[in-house]
Order: sequence, then C-alpha cells, then structure tokens
Amino acid sequence: MQTSTAPDVTKPHSVRRVRIWDLPTRLFHWLLVAAFAAQWLTQDDARLLDYHVFAGYTIGALLLFRVLWGFVGTRYARFKSFAFGPKMGLQHLRALLAGCHERHLGHNPAGTWSIFGLLALGLITVATGVLTLGGAKQLGPLRGLIGYPRGDMLALVHKYLAWSMLLLVALHVLGVLLASRAERENLTASMVIGTKHSTTTFDGVPAAAPLALVLLLVVAAGAWAYFRGYVDSRPDHPYLPFTLAPLMQNGMWKKECAGCHLDYHPSILPARSWNTLLREQHEHFGEDLGLDDSSVTTLQQYALSQPAESHVTPLAWKIDSTTPAQETPLRVTETGYWKRRHEDLSTADWNRTKRFACDGCHLDAAAGIFLPGAIHVRTPVTTVETNK
Amino acid sequence: MIRRRTALFALLSAFGGALSVPGARAAAVDDLLRRYVEQGAANFSAEAGEQFFDRAFVEAKGGEPRKCSLCHTTDLKRTGKHATTGKAIEPLAPSVNPKRLTDVRDIEKWLTRNCKWTLGRECTPQEKGDVLMMIKGR
Repeated sequence: MQTSTAPDVTKPHSVRRVRIWDLPTRLFHWLLVAAFAAQWLTQDDARLLDYHVFAGYTIGALLLFRVLWGFVGTRYARFKSFAFGPKMGLQHLRALLAGCHERHLGHNPAGTWSIFGLLALGLITVATGVLTLGGAKQLGPLRGLIGYPRGDMLALVHKYLAWSMLLLVALHVLGVLLASRAERENLTASMVIGTKHSTTTFDGVPAAAPLALVLLLVVAAGAWAYFRGYVDSRPDHPYLPFTLAPLMQNGMWKKECAGCHLDYHPSILPARSWNTLLREQHEHFGEDLGLDDSSVTTLQQYALSQPAESHVTPLAWKIDSTTPAQETPLRVTETGYWKRRHEDLSTADWNRTKRFACDGCHLDAAAGIFLPGAIHVRTPVTTVETNK
Repeated sequence: MIRRRTALFALLSAFGGALSVPGARAAAVDDLLRRYVEQGAANFSAEAGEQFFDRAFVEAKGGEPRKCSLCHTTDLKRTGKHATTGKAIEPLAPSVNPKRLTDVRDIEKWLTRNCKWTLGRECTPQEKGDVLMMIKGR
C-alpha cells in the first residue's frame, strides 16, 4: 500500500494513457449491462413481459453487433487480439493468483473466456427466449413454431441458461476486480473512459464515435417503435402490448352471464367444469338461474366448443395442463394455476380491485384472452361506466 | 348516391326504432299484467310496488336482510350494483334506459331469478304487477 500512494513517481517517464476500448465497444458493454439487469428485474412477471422481451431483443442485437465488431472492429475489439486458448487462460489465472502474471493491454487470456462465454451463452439465451415466447405464449416472431408443451420446457432451459450467464457475469466481475488489483489499474473505469496506462509505442485505437452514435440511435429507435403504443394509450382504450385474434363469442352466453358478472370465457375452465356449472344452474353460487332447457343446450354447446382443453389462449393451455383430471374447479380462482400466479399480489392491490372480477386488472379479460402485458390495476372510478 | 341512400335508410330505421321502443314496452308490460290478472291479481299499484321494492326479507340461511333496492338502489334512474359480484347494473327506469321492459321473456326471467334470491321464493302475480307498474312510471 505504501508504494501505491505515489505510483507516478516510480513509473518510467514514457508512461501515458492510450485508448484501448473504442466507443462502440464501451457502449455495447454498458448497454448490455443495463439490458441484462433489466432481464432480472422483469423475469417471471407477466405484467412486465413486454419489457423483458424488448430487453431480450436488445441483448440479441447488441451481441450480434459485437460479433460483427469482433471481425471488423478496432484492434482490441477484434477476436484476433484475444484469441487465447483455454490452456493459456488457465495459466494466466494461476499466474494472476500467484502475483506473477503478464500484463495485457486488451483482454487477458482468462478474461477472454468470460467474453466468448457470455457472447455464446447470451445468444443462446436470447434464442431460447424467443422460442419460449413463441411456444409457451404463442407470441412473437417465432409463434407457432413449437407447441405449448415444448414452450414450457424451453422456458426452463431459458431460465437455467440465464442463471449460467449470471454466474459467468459474477466470475467476470471477480476477474476484473482481481486483475485491477494486480495491475493497480481500475479496469472498470477503463471500460468507461476507454483508456489504459501504456509504456509501449502504440498510440491507441480510434474512438469510432459515429458508429457508437449509430448504435445508440438504433437502440433508441427500436425502443420507440416497440413502446410507442404506450404514448397513445388512453384509459378507455388502453394499449395492449400483446394481442391474439379475437376469440369466438356467443350472444346468449354474453347476455346470460354478463347480466350478473363478467362473462368469463369458456377457455378459462375445463369442459367438466362447465358441464357441472350448467347442470347445477339452479344452485349457481346461491342463485337459481332458471334457464330453460334450450338455453342450457345452447350455452353448453358454446362452452364445449372452446373450453380450456381447446388451448385457444396460453391461459387455456395452463389451466388445462395444470388442473388434475380429478378436480372440477367451479371458479377459476379455485385452480392451482390461478393461486400460484396471484399469490404475491399485495393486499392493497386486491382491495383496490375487489369490486371487480378479472377485468379489475386484466384489460383483455372480457375478450377471454388474458395475455401478459395487458395487466394494470384499475381504479374503481374508471370501470363503472364501461360495464355494458 | 349509394352513400346517401344508406344514410337515409339509417336515419329512417333509427327513427323507426325510437318510435317502436315505447310501443314494445307498453305491449310487453300490458301482456304481463294481463297474465297476472288471469292468475288472480288485481288493482296494480305503483305505490305498493315502491314499498315492496324497499322491503327487507331475511335470508333463511345467513340471516342477512335482502331487498330489491339492495342492488338496484331506491333511485331507479341510477346505476345499481350486484350485491355479490359488484358488477354495475344498468338503471331500471325506462326514462333513462329505454331498453328496459321491452322483452317479456327477459322481464319474467329476471323477476323469477331475482325474487328467488331476494325473497327466497317466487313473487306473487300481485307483487310482480305492482313492481312493473312502478318501474314503468320511472
């Protein structure tokens, strides 16, 4: 510690700061950090899925840019400059811990492996994410490519990959801290300002600022295009980030059900539930519906044309695949899936919406769609008039 | 040309619709009152209907009082609220909600369903007729 208080005096005269990391590389790095952090803040929350998806697209685009920049970029951004084998990486790590490592201006052989690892893992994680969205939710550019069951499986793979990435990020940060200490240079700051101490004759890399500006503009334009719906969103016509084609509706169903409550779509409960509900219509949660036989037949035909088993929405699939066959839930709130998805809601949110049904929060509940992203806690004032 | 004809048609049908709603209401209510008379009711009174509408009936199991105005409120021109689901109920008064009392089947369905919940039994023809008289005038 004594020596580090006045390092400049002990260093050779020729020492100077040269630019090692060009601006696009630094911008890439910190945008990636921000987007990766956003992923952990938005993961597994249906209300925030559109933010999660956008951050995922951003990560994908950033990584693709970085791969390209690894071939045509400035000196230390090129893969060639840090194409060290795994053996060298291990040697460097050992030397670093022993305190007798060789200094590298660019990435060192150990750091190399977190770079390549994060690039590869990142791209695979993004790919599995888009596939998950296309399968488990049947949304996004790859919707329909795989079915719900595989989508759910890939969601798990996506999750494990993300955790692996987080582990690698932790190792990367640890490595940076170790190397910063060993080299007595703040390497994190170097990734911000771009320069490092050098005693060589190398004059540094160009800043490539115009390209960085283009990168920034592309991300900003992407965000604008993706989120502009929120700008035009009005309380009576809220913006829904995800939509499906409208489901089949039935006039009698609407009239009979919506007279007293939200006209719950048949796809939110299994066929056996609707059969029981219609059979027990004289004891319908304490009311005698008094429907005549022909009405019951019509309602039953409609209910059985798209019950949960029809998988017309991601919710239908979830209800069908998670409700045990011996259970006949008569309310969607009796299903295990519903309970799991709502267990962490605050009492305050429940109290604000308790005079509503699903449509107190799910803006597409009346349409039966229940997509992620279309969830906002409504205040009672705005909905009383809209009940038609 | 076609657009003008469509506009004229829309105008005429809207006008016709507006004319026919009160007619349908009068026919539906008259039809029901006639039926209630056949079933032994007589001298329907809006005042009796008004009193009935706000009369409390104690529910057999839970013991809580129930009455028509619990959901519909005593001011029929206002939006009501379903006692268990909380869903808004459009006003019963035809003066603010012209669709009311236009469909015999609909009226009977709701009278049957709601009497059973509120009173624990079906309403008598006299009770139904009094209430209809009352609603009709609002």
